[in-house]
Amino acid sequence: MKRIRLAVTIAGLMSAATIGAGAASADDYTTLLIDPNFVFDTVQYTGGAPTMNPGGQPGAARVFSHNDGRSITDTVWVLPDPAAATAAVTAAQTAAAIANPKTEPVQVGTGGTFISGTSADGSQSLGLLTFTQGNAASTIEFAGPANDPPDAALATDLGQAQVALIQSRMGG
Amino acid sequence: MRRIAMAIATAGVIAGSLAGAQTATAASTNDITPPPAPIQHFPTPIIAALDCAGTTGWAGCGPGWIWRNGWRGPACYVC
Repeated sequence: MKRIRLAVTIAGLMSAATIGAGAASADDYTTLLIDPNFVFDTVQYTGGAPTMNPGGQPGAARVFSHNDGRSITDTVWVLPDPAAATAAVTAAQTAAAIANPKTEPVQVGTGGTFISGTSADGSQSLGLLTFTQGNAASTIEFAGPANDPPDAALATDLGQAQVALIQSRMGG
Repeated sequence: MRRIAMAIATAGVIAGSLAGAQTATAASTNDITPPPAPIQHFPTPIIAALDCAGTTGWAGCGPGWIWRNGWRGPACYVC
């Protein structure tokens, strides 16, 4: 039932995104950020104020906090070319502080990769999804309870919705 | 028609032979002491709960699933 609603939600999201289609303006990359509430058909997440040009690169990031304390941080950079996008996700993977990492490919964008593990002290479960879509690079970070780690299916669902949003906004 | 008749006749012959078999066996065992029945050790049954609560869950979750708040918000999650 939830999957059906998810499909309907994504379809609605795609429809809404198509209506406003067009290249994202240079100063409003926040329109590229996916809201987990839309993807998971819930109201549990509260979005924080977006960060513009995270890490000094053109793009946007936003933290979505679940009401039970877990969080999802979505980041999208819009870079000059696909090579720069690939370099950005590689740098993000290198910088990730995930202990006991398990890396697996996922069907998300180009080079979709999901790394799961824990925080250094083991008190949290962590996940990092990275992929590129044309000139865009994206990371989606998960931080939650140690006994409820994010899995690849979760990351894939969110990532594919993110890819669809990037495609609808930027084309390709 | 001929095939149906043949099938009925065959079934009748088989039924007849089976009916007589029990009587023949009973007659033959009257003269000897039956061996003691072997002691059978049945394995302990393994009972697995269908889900975390041992039921089919509430809120419509199927066996092996439970309703809770998680990454996807309130939903059915695998136990």
